[in-house]
Amino acid sequence: MISTVIRMNIIETAGLGKRYGRTWALRDCTLAVPGGHVVALVGPNGAGKSTLLNMATGLATPTAGRVTVLGGVTAGSPAALDRIAFVTQDAPLYKNLPVTDMLRVARYLNLRWDASLAAARLSRLGIDQRKKVGALSGGQKAQLALTIALARRPDLLVLDEPLAALDPLARHDFMESVLSEVAAEGISVVLSSHVVAELDQVADYLIVLGRGKVLVSESVSSLVAAHGMGLEKLVLGYLRAGSTEVAA
Amino acid sequence: MTAVTSAAVRPRRVPAARVAWVTWRQHRAALAGAIALLAVLGLYLLITGLFIHHAWAAVVACHPAPSAACYQLVEQFNQQYYGTQQGSVVSSGINAQTVPFLLLAVPILLGVFTGAPVLARELESGTFRFAWTQACGRVRWAVVRLGVLAVALTVLTFAFSQLFGWYFSPFFAEGKTTKFPMQLFGNLGVDFAAWTLLAFTAAAFLGVVIRRTVAAMASALAGCTVLDVATMMALRQHYAAPLTASGNNPPGGQSAWVLDQWLNRPDGQHVRLTDIPLSVQNSPDPSAFSNWLRTEHVTQWWSYLPGSDFWRFQLIEGGWLLGLSVLLIAASIWMVRRRAA
Repeated sequence: MISTVIRMNIIETAGLGKRYGRTWALRDCTLAVPGGHVVALVGPNGAGKSTLLNMATGLATPTAGRVTVLGGVTAGSPAALDRIAFVTQDAPLYKNLPVTDMLRVARYLNLRWDASLAAARLSRLGIDQRKKVGALSGGQKAQLALTIALARRPDLLVLDEPLAALDPLARHDFMESVLSEVAAEGISVVLSSHVVAELDQVADYLIVLGRGKVLVSESVSSLVAAHGMGLEKLVLGYLRAGSTEVAA
Repeated sequence: MTAVTSAAVRPRRVPAARVAWVTWRQHRAALAGAIALLAVLGLYLLITGLFIHHAWAAVVACHPAPSAACYQLVEQFNQQYYGTQQGSVVSSGINAQTVPFLLLAVPILLGVFTGAPVLARELESGTFRFAWTQACGRVRWAVVRLGVLAVALTVLTFAFSQLFGWYFSPFFAEGKTTKFPMQLFGNLGVDFAAWTLLAFTAAAFLGVVIRRTVAAMASALAGCTVLDVATMMALRQHYAAPLTASGNNPPGGQSAWVLDQWLNRPDGQHVRLTDIPLSVQNSPDPSAFSNWLRTEHVTQWWSYLPGSDFWRFQLIEGGWLLGLSVLLIAASIWMVRRRAA
Protein backbone atom coordinates (compact mmCIF):
# COMPACT_ATOMS: atom_id res chain seq x y z
CA MET A 1 0.00 0.00 0.00
CA ILE A 2 2.77 2.41 0.95
CA SER A 3 4.53 2.03 -2.39
CA THR A 4 1.33 2.81 -4.31
CA VAL A 5 0.77 5.91 -2.21
CA ILE A 6 4.26 7.12 -2.85
CA ARG A 7 3.91 6.90 -6.59
CA MET A 8 0.47 8.50 -6.85
CA ASN A 9 -0.58 12.10 -6.68
CA ILE A 10 -2.08 12.49 -3.24
CA ILE A 11 -3.90 15.70 -4.20
CA GLU A 12 -4.75 16.61 -7.75
CA THR A 13 -6.79 19.61 -8.77
CA ALA A 14 -7.94 20.98 -12.13
CA GLY A 15 -9.33 24.48 -12.48
CA LEU A 16 -10.34 24.30 -8.83
CA GLY A 17 -12.15 27.34 -7.44
CA LYS A 18 -14.13 28.25 -4.35
CA ARG A 19 -16.29 31.29 -3.93
CA TYR A 20 -17.69 32.46 -0.60
CA GLY A 21 -20.45 34.92 -1.41
CA ARG A 22 -18.90 37.20 -3.99
CA THR A 23 -15.23 36.71 -3.21
CA TRP A 24 -13.15 33.91 -4.63
CA ALA A 25 -11.02 32.32 -1.92
CA LEU A 26 -9.30 30.19 -4.54
CA ARG A 27 -9.48 30.50 -8.30
CA ASP A 28 -8.46 28.33 -11.22
CA CYS A 29 -6.03 26.24 -9.19
CA THR A 30 -4.42 23.34 -11.04
CA LEU A 31 -1.80 21.33 -9.21
CA ALA A 32 -0.58 17.84 -8.46
CA VAL A 33 0.89 17.01 -5.07
CA PRO A 34 3.09 13.89 -5.28
CA GLY A 35 2.92 11.19 -2.60
CA GLY A 36 5.72 10.09 -0.31
CA HIS A 37 6.78 13.58 0.63
CA VAL A 38 6.37 16.08 3.37
CA VAL A 39 4.85 18.82 1.29
CA ALA A 40 4.86 22.39 2.49
CA LEU A 41 2.00 24.47 1.15
CA VAL A 42 3.22 28.01 1.61
CA GLY A 43 1.69 31.38 0.91
CA PRO A 44 0.63 34.62 2.54
CA ASN A 45 -2.58 34.92 4.56
CA GLY A 46 -5.55 34.79 2.26
CA ALA A 47 -3.72 32.89 -0.46
CA GLY A 48 -6.33 30.13 -0.32
CA LYS A 49 -4.33 27.47 1.52
CA SER A 50 -7.06 26.52 3.99
CA THR A 51 -9.68 26.62 1.25
CA LEU A 52 -7.63 24.23 -0.87
CA LEU A 53 -7.09 21.83 2.05
CA ASN A 54 -10.77 22.03 3.08
CA MET A 55 -11.79 20.95 -0.41
CA ALA A 56 -9.17 18.20 -0.52
CA THR A 57 -10.50 16.76 2.73
CA GLY A 58 -14.16 17.09 1.75
CA LEU A 59 -14.97 19.73 4.33
CA ALA A 60 -15.88 22.19 1.58
CA THR A 61 -17.24 21.54 -1.90
CA PRO A 62 -15.71 23.24 -4.97
CA THR A 63 -17.55 26.04 -6.72
CA ALA A 64 -15.61 25.30 -9.90
CA GLY A 65 -13.25 22.60 -11.18
CA ARG A 66 -12.47 19.31 -9.47
CA VAL A 67 -10.26 17.79 -6.83
CA THR A 68 -9.24 14.18 -6.28
CA VAL A 69 -7.05 12.57 -3.65
CA LEU A 70 -4.94 9.43 -3.22
CA GLY A 71 -4.68 8.81 -6.96
CA GLY A 72 -8.14 9.59 -8.27
CA VAL A 73 -10.45 9.08 -5.28
CA THR A 74 -13.19 11.73 -5.00
CA ALA A 75 -12.40 14.13 -2.18
CA GLY A 76 -14.80 13.70 0.74
CA SER A 77 -15.95 10.24 -0.39
CA PRO A 78 -16.07 7.46 2.23
CA ALA A 79 -12.85 5.95 0.83
CA ALA A 80 -11.09 9.31 1.03
CA LEU A 81 -12.34 10.07 4.55
CA ASP A 82 -11.16 6.67 5.72
CA ARG A 83 -7.59 7.19 4.52
CA ILE A 84 -6.99 10.88 5.19
CA ALA A 85 -6.46 12.43 8.61
CA PHE A 86 -6.96 16.16 8.80
CA VAL A 87 -5.79 18.33 11.66
CA THR A 88 -7.45 21.68 11.09
CA GLN A 89 -6.36 25.04 12.33
CA ASP A 90 -6.65 25.42 16.14
CA ALA A 91 -7.27 21.65 16.36
CA PRO A 92 -10.92 21.80 17.48
CA LEU A 93 -11.61 18.87 19.84
CA TYR A 94 -14.30 18.34 22.46
CA LYS A 95 -13.10 20.47 25.36
CA ASN A 96 -15.51 19.06 27.93
CA LEU A 97 -14.44 15.44 27.39
CA PRO A 98 -11.57 13.79 29.26
CA VAL A 99 -8.71 12.77 26.94
CA THR A 100 -9.59 9.10 27.30
CA ASP A 101 -13.17 9.72 26.10
CA MET A 102 -11.95 11.99 23.30
CA LEU A 103 -9.82 9.07 22.10
CA ARG A 104 -12.79 6.75 22.29
CA VAL A 105 -14.93 9.18 20.28
CA ALA A 106 -12.25 9.25 17.58
CA ARG A 107 -11.90 5.45 17.67
CA TYR A 108 -15.67 4.95 17.30
CA LEU A 109 -15.95 7.39 14.38
CA ASN A 110 -13.30 5.50 12.40
CA LEU A 111 -12.72 2.08 10.92
CA ARG A 112 -9.00 1.94 11.55
CA TRP A 113 -7.63 2.74 14.98
CA ASP A 114 -4.27 2.03 16.59
CA ALA A 115 -5.04 2.27 20.32
CA SER A 116 -1.53 1.28 21.41
CA LEU A 117 0.04 3.97 19.23
CA ALA A 118 -2.22 6.59 20.82
CA ALA A 119 -1.56 5.39 24.38
CA ALA A 120 2.20 5.15 23.85
CA ARG A 121 2.44 8.60 22.28
CA LEU A 122 0.40 10.28 25.01
CA SER A 123 2.40 8.69 27.83
CA ARG A 124 5.64 9.65 26.07
CA LEU A 125 4.36 13.23 25.85
CA GLY A 126 3.30 13.16 29.50
CA ILE A 127 -0.34 13.90 28.72
CA ASP A 128 -2.62 12.66 31.51
CA GLN A 129 -5.57 10.88 29.90
CA ARG A 130 -7.86 11.67 32.84
CA LYS A 131 -7.50 15.40 32.19
CA LYS A 132 -10.17 17.20 30.24
CA VAL A 133 -9.18 18.29 26.75
CA GLY A 134 -10.01 21.89 27.68
CA ALA A 135 -7.49 21.77 30.53
CA LEU A 136 -4.54 20.89 28.27
CA SER A 137 -2.00 23.51 27.15
CA GLY A 138 -2.01 24.69 23.53
CA GLY A 139 0.96 22.48 22.69
CA GLN A 140 -0.60 19.44 24.37
CA LYS A 141 -3.88 20.04 22.54
CA ALA A 142 -2.06 20.14 19.20
CA GLN A 143 -0.17 16.98 20.13
CA LEU A 144 -3.43 15.27 21.07
CA ALA A 145 -4.97 16.23 17.73
CA LEU A 146 -1.87 14.86 15.97
CA THR A 147 -2.01 11.67 18.06
CA ILE A 148 -5.64 11.11 17.06
CA ALA A 149 -4.75 11.73 13.41
CA LEU A 150 -1.84 9.28 13.53
CA ALA A 151 -3.81 6.61 15.42
CA ARG A 152 -6.18 6.55 12.46
CA ARG A 153 -3.24 5.11 10.46
CA PRO A 154 -3.84 7.40 7.50
CA ASP A 155 -2.20 7.23 4.09
CA LEU A 156 -2.25 11.00 3.98
CA LEU A 157 -1.90 13.40 6.88
CA VAL A 158 -3.08 16.95 6.24
CA LEU A 159 -2.12 19.69 8.68
CA ASP A 160 -3.59 23.15 8.23
CA GLU A 161 -1.46 25.81 9.95
CA PRO A 162 -0.50 23.40 12.72
CA LEU A 163 2.09 25.74 14.16
CA ALA A 164 0.13 28.99 14.18
CA ALA A 165 -1.07 28.81 17.77
CA LEU A 166 2.05 27.22 19.28
CA ASP A 167 5.03 28.73 21.12
CA PRO A 168 8.52 28.07 19.68
CA LEU A 169 9.28 25.06 21.88
CA ALA A 170 5.90 23.47 21.16
CA ARG A 171 6.44 24.13 17.44
CA HIS A 172 9.73 22.32 17.53
CA ASP A 173 8.32 19.35 19.45
CA PHE A 174 5.31 19.16 17.16
CA MET A 175 7.31 19.13 13.94
CA GLU A 176 9.71 16.58 15.42
CA SER A 177 6.72 14.36 16.21
CA VAL A 178 5.39 14.68 12.69
CA LEU A 179 8.74 13.85 11.15
CA SER A 180 9.47 10.82 13.32
CA GLU A 181 6.03 9.34 12.65
CA VAL A 182 6.28 9.99 8.95
CA ALA A 183 9.68 8.35 8.81
CA ALA A 184 8.39 5.33 10.72
CA GLU A 185 5.13 4.87 8.84
CA GLY A 186 5.94 6.20 5.39
CA ILE A 187 2.82 8.34 5.20
CA SER A 188 2.50 11.37 2.99
CA VAL A 189 2.09 14.73 4.66
CA VAL A 190 0.77 18.04 3.42
CA LEU A 191 1.11 20.96 5.77
CA SER A 192 0.23 24.56 5.21
CA SER A 193 1.93 27.52 6.79
CA HIS A 194 2.45 31.21 6.32
CA VAL A 195 5.58 31.01 8.41
CA VAL A 196 8.40 29.72 6.25
CA ALA A 197 11.20 29.68 8.82
CA GLU A 198 10.02 26.49 10.59
CA LEU A 199 9.60 24.49 7.41
CA ASP A 200 13.25 24.57 6.47
CA GLN A 201 14.21 21.36 8.23
CA VAL A 202 10.91 19.60 7.59
CA ALA A 203 9.54 19.80 4.08
CA ASP A 204 11.12 18.08 1.10
CA TYR A 205 8.59 19.35 -1.43
CA LEU A 206 7.41 22.93 -1.81
CA ILE A 207 4.22 24.41 -3.22
CA VAL A 208 3.96 28.19 -3.13
CA LEU A 209 0.46 29.59 -3.45
CA GLY A 210 -0.10 33.30 -4.10
CA ARG A 211 -3.57 34.79 -4.53
CA GLY A 212 -5.09 31.47 -5.45
CA LYS A 213 -2.41 30.69 -8.05
CA VAL A 214 0.34 28.10 -7.91
CA LEU A 215 3.66 29.96 -8.13
CA VAL A 216 5.95 26.96 -7.74
CA SER A 217 5.62 23.22 -7.20
CA GLU A 218 8.89 21.34 -6.94
CA SER A 219 11.05 19.25 -4.64
CA VAL A 220 13.11 21.28 -2.19
CA SER A 221 16.40 19.58 -3.05
CA SER A 222 16.18 20.41 -6.76
CA LEU A 223 15.09 23.97 -5.99
CA VAL A 224 17.96 24.53 -3.61
CA ALA A 225 20.41 22.94 -6.06
CA ALA A 226 19.20 25.12 -8.92
CA HIS A 227 19.14 28.40 -7.03
CA GLY A 228 21.74 27.82 -4.33
CA MET A 229 19.86 29.49 -1.53
CA GLY A 230 17.83 28.60 1.58
CA LEU A 231 14.14 27.75 1.53
CA GLU A 232 13.03 30.97 3.19
CA LYS A 233 14.80 33.19 0.64
CA LEU A 234 13.48 31.06 -2.19
CA VAL A 235 9.87 31.38 -1.01
CA LEU A 236 10.19 35.12 -0.51
CA GLY A 237 11.59 35.44 -4.02
CA TYR A 238 8.67 33.52 -5.52
CA LEU A 239 6.10 35.47 -3.52
CA ARG A 240 7.65 38.81 -4.61
CA ALA A 241 7.74 37.69 -8.24
CA GLY A 242 4.14 36.48 -7.93
CA SER A 243 2.83 39.72 -6.49
CA THR A 244 4.59 41.88 -9.11
CA GLU A 245 3.21 39.56 -11.79
CA VAL A 246 -0.30 40.04 -10.44
CA ALA A 247 0.24 43.80 -10.09
CA ALA A 248 1.56 44.01 -13.66
CA MET B 1 -5.33 2.84 -9.40
CA THR B 2 -6.21 -0.63 -10.67
CA ALA B 3 -4.14 -2.05 -7.84
CA VAL B 4 -6.52 -0.60 -5.28
CA THR B 5 -9.08 -3.22 -4.30
CA SER B 6 -12.80 -2.52 -4.36
CA ALA B 7 -12.80 -2.86 -0.58
CA ALA B 8 -10.54 0.16 -0.36
CA VAL B 9 -12.67 2.19 -2.75
CA ARG B 10 -15.85 1.36 -0.88
CA PRO B 11 -14.81 0.68 2.71
CA ARG B 12 -16.98 -0.88 5.37
CA ARG B 13 -19.19 1.58 7.15
CA VAL B 14 -18.55 2.63 10.72
CA PRO B 15 -21.00 0.63 12.90
CA ALA B 16 -24.06 2.69 13.87
CA ALA B 17 -23.79 1.45 17.48
CA ARG B 18 -20.40 3.16 17.79
CA VAL B 19 -21.69 6.43 16.41
CA ALA B 20 -24.59 6.05 18.84
CA TRP B 21 -22.09 5.75 21.70
CA VAL B 22 -20.46 9.00 20.60
CA THR B 23 -23.91 10.64 20.55
CA TRP B 24 -24.67 9.28 24.00
CA ARG B 25 -21.31 10.45 25.39
CA GLN B 26 -21.79 13.97 24.07
CA HIS B 27 -25.44 14.32 25.09
CA ARG B 28 -25.66 12.25 28.25
CA ALA B 29 -25.89 15.38 30.43
CA ALA B 30 -28.84 16.69 28.39
CA LEU B 31 -30.49 13.27 28.42
CA ALA B 32 -29.90 12.94 32.16
CA GLY B 33 -31.55 16.34 32.62
CA ALA B 34 -34.55 15.26 30.56
CA ILE B 35 -34.82 11.97 32.46
CA ALA B 36 -34.48 13.76 35.81
CA LEU B 37 -37.27 16.20 34.94
CA LEU B 38 -39.59 13.44 33.76
CA ALA B 39 -38.65 11.29 36.76
CA VAL B 40 -39.51 14.03 39.26
CA LEU B 41 -42.83 14.77 37.54
CA GLY B 42 -43.46 11.04 37.08
CA LEU B 43 -42.82 10.34 40.75
CA TYR B 44 -45.38 13.01 41.66
CA LEU B 45 -47.93 11.45 39.28
CA LEU B 46 -47.17 7.97 40.61
CA ILE B 47 -47.54 8.84 44.29
CA THR B 48 -50.61 11.07 43.97
CA GLY B 49 -51.96 8.61 41.40
CA LEU B 50 -51.81 5.79 43.94
CA PHE B 51 -53.77 7.88 46.45
CA ILE B 52 -56.29 8.85 43.76
CA HIS B 53 -56.80 5.26 42.60
CA HIS B 54 -57.12 4.07 46.20
CA ALA B 55 -59.79 6.70 46.95
CA TRP B 56 -61.54 6.00 43.64
CA ALA B 57 -61.66 2.28 44.40
CA ALA B 58 -63.55 3.14 47.60
CA VAL B 59 -65.98 5.31 45.59
CA VAL B 60 -66.61 2.51 43.10
CA ALA B 61 -67.08 -0.04 45.88
CA CYS B 62 -69.60 2.13 47.74
CA HIS B 63 -73.01 0.45 47.94
CA PRO B 64 -75.77 1.40 47.35
CA ALA B 65 -74.48 4.07 44.96
CA PRO B 66 -77.45 6.52 45.23
CA SER B 67 -77.16 6.72 49.05
CA ALA B 68 -76.17 9.91 50.86
CA ALA B 69 -73.04 8.27 52.23
CA CYS B 70 -71.83 7.40 48.71
CA TYR B 71 -72.72 10.87 47.43
CA GLN B 72 -70.63 12.27 50.27
CA LEU B 73 -67.74 10.01 49.27
CA VAL B 74 -67.81 11.22 45.65
CA GLU B 75 -67.92 14.86 46.77
CA GLN B 76 -64.97 14.28 49.05
CA PHE B 77 -63.05 12.53 46.29
CA ASN B 78 -63.59 15.39 43.84
CA GLN B 79 -62.81 18.03 46.42
CA GLN B 80 -59.62 16.41 47.61
CA TYR B 81 -58.08 15.31 44.31
CA TYR B 82 -59.77 17.31 41.56
CA GLY B 83 -59.83 20.50 43.57
CA THR B 84 -63.49 21.29 43.03
CA GLN B 85 -65.17 23.11 45.85
CA GLN B 86 -68.82 22.60 46.64
CA GLY B 87 -70.86 24.30 43.94
CA SER B 88 -67.84 25.70 42.15
CA VAL B 89 -65.71 24.48 39.27
CA VAL B 90 -62.88 26.91 39.98
CA SER B 91 -59.92 25.21 41.52
CA SER B 92 -56.73 26.36 43.11
CA GLY B 93 -53.54 24.68 44.19
CA ILE B 94 -51.79 21.68 42.69
CA ASN B 95 -54.39 19.02 41.91
CA ALA B 96 -55.64 16.88 39.06
CA GLN B 97 -57.32 19.89 37.49
CA THR B 98 -54.26 22.15 37.42
CA VAL B 99 -51.46 19.60 36.91
CA PRO B 100 -52.37 18.99 33.21
CA PHE B 101 -51.95 22.72 32.51
CA LEU B 102 -48.47 22.70 34.03
CA LEU B 103 -47.47 19.63 32.02
CA LEU B 104 -48.57 21.31 28.80
CA ALA B 105 -45.27 23.25 28.68
CA VAL B 106 -43.06 20.17 29.10
CA PRO B 107 -42.89 18.71 25.53
CA ILE B 108 -41.76 21.90 23.81
CA LEU B 109 -39.28 22.88 26.53
CA LEU B 110 -37.81 19.38 26.63
CA GLY B 111 -37.55 19.09 22.85
CA VAL B 112 -36.07 22.52 22.30
CA PHE B 113 -33.42 22.27 25.01
CA THR B 114 -32.20 18.85 23.88
CA GLY B 115 -32.51 19.56 20.15
CA ALA B 116 -30.82 22.93 19.75
CA PRO B 117 -27.24 21.90 20.71
CA VAL B 118 -27.15 18.68 18.64
CA LEU B 119 -25.80 20.36 15.50
CA ALA B 120 -25.44 24.03 16.50
CA ARG B 121 -22.85 23.39 19.21
CA GLU B 122 -20.56 21.58 16.74
CA LEU B 123 -20.89 24.45 14.28
CA GLU B 124 -20.32 27.27 16.76
CA SER B 125 -17.38 25.60 18.50
CA GLY B 126 -15.73 24.46 15.25
CA THR B 127 -15.65 20.80 16.29
CA PHE B 128 -17.62 19.89 13.17
CA ARG B 129 -14.24 20.12 11.39
CA PHE B 130 -13.14 17.17 13.50
CA ALA B 131 -16.42 15.26 13.35
CA TRP B 132 -16.95 15.60 9.61
CA THR B 133 -13.46 14.49 8.57
CA GLN B 134 -13.52 11.09 10.31
CA ALA B 135 -14.14 7.87 8.37
CA CYS B 136 -17.76 7.83 9.54
CA GLY B 137 -18.67 10.73 7.29
CA ARG B 138 -20.91 13.64 8.11
CA VAL B 139 -24.19 12.23 6.77
CA ARG B 140 -24.02 8.99 8.77
CA TRP B 141 -22.87 11.01 11.77
CA ALA B 142 -25.91 13.30 11.49
CA VAL B 143 -28.39 10.48 10.76
CA VAL B 144 -27.36 8.40 13.79
CA ARG B 145 -27.08 11.41 16.08
CA LEU B 146 -30.52 12.82 15.22
CA GLY B 147 -32.09 9.35 15.08
CA VAL B 148 -30.81 8.12 18.43
CA LEU B 149 -31.81 11.25 20.32
CA ALA B 150 -35.19 11.55 18.59
CA VAL B 151 -36.08 7.93 19.39
CA ALA B 152 -34.83 8.21 22.99
CA LEU B 153 -36.86 11.38 23.64
CA THR B 154 -39.97 9.98 21.97
CA VAL B 155 -39.86 6.75 23.98
CA LEU B 156 -39.27 8.61 27.26
CA THR B 157 -42.06 11.13 26.74
CA PHE B 158 -44.48 8.48 25.45
CA ALA B 159 -43.91 6.41 28.58
CA PHE B 160 -44.44 9.53 30.70
CA SER B 161 -47.74 10.42 29.05
CA GLN B 162 -49.00 6.85 29.58
CA LEU B 163 -48.30 7.36 33.28
CA PHE B 164 -50.31 10.57 33.12
CA GLY B 165 -53.18 8.69 31.44
CA TRP B 166 -53.22 6.21 34.31
CA TYR B 167 -53.03 8.98 36.92
CA PHE B 168 -55.99 10.83 35.42
CA SER B 169 -58.21 7.87 34.46
CA PRO B 170 -60.49 7.98 37.59
CA PHE B 171 -61.65 11.46 36.63
CA PHE B 172 -62.72 10.28 33.19
CA ALA B 173 -64.57 7.40 34.88
CA GLU B 174 -66.20 9.87 37.25
CA GLY B 175 -67.30 11.97 34.26
CA LYS B 176 -65.50 15.12 35.31
CA THR B 177 -64.37 15.88 31.79
CA THR B 178 -63.92 14.57 28.26
CA LYS B 179 -60.49 13.78 26.85
CA PHE B 180 -60.75 16.66 24.37
CA PRO B 181 -59.85 19.79 26.39
CA MET B 182 -56.43 21.00 25.30
CA GLN B 183 -54.75 20.46 28.65
CA LEU B 184 -55.78 16.79 28.60
CA PHE B 185 -55.56 16.01 24.87
CA GLY B 186 -51.94 17.23 24.82
CA ASN B 187 -50.91 14.99 27.72
CA LEU B 188 -52.67 11.84 26.58
CA GLY B 189 -52.15 9.23 23.86
CA VAL B 190 -49.36 10.07 21.42
CA ASP B 191 -49.69 13.87 21.48
CA PHE B 192 -47.21 14.54 24.29
CA ALA B 193 -44.46 12.52 22.59
CA ALA B 194 -45.27 13.90 19.14
CA TRP B 195 -44.92 17.52 20.24
CA THR B 196 -41.64 16.70 21.99
CA LEU B 197 -40.35 15.14 18.76
CA LEU B 198 -41.41 18.15 16.72
CA ALA B 199 -39.74 20.60 19.13
CA PHE B 200 -36.55 18.50 19.08
CA THR B 201 -36.33 18.30 15.28
CA ALA B 202 -37.27 21.96 14.81
CA ALA B 203 -34.55 23.07 17.25
CA ALA B 204 -31.97 20.79 15.61
CA PHE B 205 -32.86 22.11 12.16
CA LEU B 206 -32.76 25.76 13.26
CA GLY B 207 -29.42 24.97 14.91
CA VAL B 208 -27.82 23.94 11.63
CA VAL B 209 -29.38 26.95 9.87
CA ILE B 210 -28.51 29.63 12.46
CA ARG B 211 -25.30 27.95 13.76
CA ARG B 212 -25.95 29.32 17.27
CA THR B 213 -27.32 27.15 20.10
CA VAL B 214 -29.07 29.88 22.09
CA ALA B 215 -30.59 31.54 19.03
CA ALA B 216 -31.80 28.14 17.80
CA MET B 217 -33.40 27.48 21.20
CA ALA B 218 -35.16 30.84 21.28
CA SER B 219 -36.48 30.65 17.71
CA ALA B 220 -37.59 27.01 18.05
CA LEU B 221 -39.30 27.81 21.36
CA ALA B 222 -41.18 30.71 19.79
CA GLY B 223 -42.08 28.83 16.60
CA CYS B 224 -43.28 25.66 18.33
CA THR B 225 -45.28 27.59 20.92
CA VAL B 226 -47.09 29.57 18.22
CA LEU B 227 -47.83 26.36 16.30
CA ASP B 228 -49.00 24.56 19.45
CA VAL B 229 -51.34 27.36 20.52
CA ALA B 230 -52.72 27.70 16.97
CA THR B 231 -53.32 23.94 16.89
CA MET B 232 -55.12 23.95 20.23
CA MET B 233 -57.21 27.03 19.49
CA ALA B 234 -58.07 26.79 15.83
CA LEU B 235 -56.85 23.66 14.06
CA ARG B 236 -57.65 20.63 16.20
CA GLN B 237 -61.46 20.91 16.05
CA HIS B 238 -61.33 20.70 12.24
CA TYR B 239 -59.75 17.21 12.09
CA ALA B 240 -63.26 15.78 11.54
CA ALA B 241 -66.66 17.22 10.65
CA PRO B 242 -68.71 17.47 13.86
CA LEU B 243 -72.01 15.62 14.21
CA THR B 244 -75.24 17.43 14.93
CA ALA B 245 -78.06 16.20 17.13
CA SER B 246 -81.17 17.64 18.74
CA GLY B 247 -82.42 17.06 22.26
CA ASN B 248 -82.58 18.55 25.69
CA ASN B 249 -79.36 16.96 26.87
CA PRO B 250 -75.85 17.04 25.39
CA PRO B 251 -75.48 14.10 22.98
CA GLY B 252 -72.83 11.43 22.98
CA GLY B 253 -72.69 10.96 26.73
CA GLN B 254 -69.87 12.06 28.99
CA SER B 255 -67.03 11.53 26.55
CA ALA B 256 -68.30 13.75 23.69
CA TRP B 257 -66.86 17.16 22.91
CA VAL B 258 -69.67 19.74 22.49
CA LEU B 259 -68.51 22.43 20.08
CA ASP B 260 -71.69 24.50 19.73
CA GLN B 261 -75.38 24.60 20.62
CA TRP B 262 -78.27 26.65 19.25
CA LEU B 263 -82.08 26.90 19.25
CA ASN B 264 -84.36 26.68 16.19
CA ARG B 265 -88.07 27.11 15.63
CA PRO B 266 -89.89 24.51 13.44
CA ASP B 267 -89.62 26.85 10.39
CA GLY B 268 -85.85 26.89 10.86
CA GLN B 269 -85.78 30.37 12.36
CA HIS B 270 -82.92 30.88 14.78
CA VAL B 271 -83.76 31.75 18.40
CA ARG B 272 -81.43 34.23 20.04
CA LEU B 273 -80.79 34.28 23.75
CA THR B 274 -82.65 37.60 23.97
CA ASP B 275 -85.75 35.90 22.53
CA ILE B 276 -86.11 33.83 25.66
CA PRO B 277 -88.35 35.60 28.20
CA LEU B 278 -86.56 36.82 31.30
CA SER B 279 -89.08 34.98 33.46
CA VAL B 280 -87.80 31.72 31.96
CA GLN B 281 -84.13 32.70 32.11
CA ASN B 282 -84.34 33.73 35.77
CA SER B 283 -86.70 31.00 36.91
CA PRO B 284 -85.46 28.98 39.91
CA ASP B 285 -87.25 25.93 38.47
CA PRO B 286 -84.67 23.91 36.49
CA SER B 287 -87.38 22.52 34.20
CA ALA B 288 -88.70 25.98 33.25
CA PHE B 289 -86.38 26.16 30.24
CA SER B 290 -87.34 22.74 28.84
CA ASN B 291 -91.01 23.51 29.44
CA TRP B 292 -90.65 26.75 27.49
CA LEU B 293 -88.91 24.91 24.65
CA ARG B 294 -91.80 22.45 24.45
CA THR B 295 -94.61 25.03 24.51
CA GLU B 296 -92.83 27.24 21.93
CA HIS B 297 -91.95 24.17 19.75
CA VAL B 298 -88.30 25.22 19.85
CA THR B 299 -85.68 22.52 19.28
CA GLN B 300 -82.27 22.57 20.92
CA TRP B 301 -79.44 21.57 18.54
CA TRP B 302 -75.96 20.42 19.35
CA SER B 303 -72.79 20.22 17.33
CA TYR B 304 -70.38 17.71 18.86
CA LEU B 305 -67.58 15.22 18.38
CA PRO B 306 -68.24 11.74 19.81
CA GLY B 307 -65.78 10.38 22.34
CA SER B 308 -64.71 7.75 19.83
CA ASP B 309 -63.12 10.57 17.81
CA PHE B 310 -60.46 10.98 20.50
CA TRP B 311 -58.11 8.35 19.08
CA ARG B 312 -58.85 9.43 15.54
CA PHE B 313 -57.81 12.97 16.51
CA GLN B 314 -54.75 11.68 18.35
CA LEU B 315 -53.61 9.76 15.29
CA ILE B 316 -54.30 12.67 12.91
CA GLU B 317 -52.30 15.09 15.05
CA GLY B 318 -49.60 12.55 15.81
CA GLY B 319 -49.42 11.78 12.09
CA TRP B 320 -48.85 15.29 10.85
CA LEU B 321 -46.44 16.04 13.68
CA LEU B 322 -44.46 12.91 12.84
CA GLY B 323 -44.48 13.82 9.14
CA LEU B 324 -43.26 17.34 9.87
CA SER B 325 -40.56 15.98 12.20
CA VAL B 326 -39.28 13.55 9.58
CA LEU B 327 -39.21 16.41 7.08
CA LEU B 328 -37.20 18.55 9.53
CA ILE B 329 -34.71 15.71 10.13
CA ALA B 330 -34.32 15.25 6.37
CA ALA B 331 -33.81 19.00 5.92
CA SER B 332 -31.21 19.03 8.72
CA ILE B 333 -29.27 16.19 7.11
CA TRP B 334 -29.46 17.94 3.75
CA MET B 335 -28.05 21.10 5.37
CA VAL B 336 -25.24 19.14 7.04
CA ARG B 337 -24.44 17.61 3.66
CA ARG B 338 -24.17 20.88 1.80
CA ARG B 339 -22.78 23.03 4.62
CA ALA B 340 -19.22 24.08 3.78
CA ALA B 341 -16.47 24.77 6.27
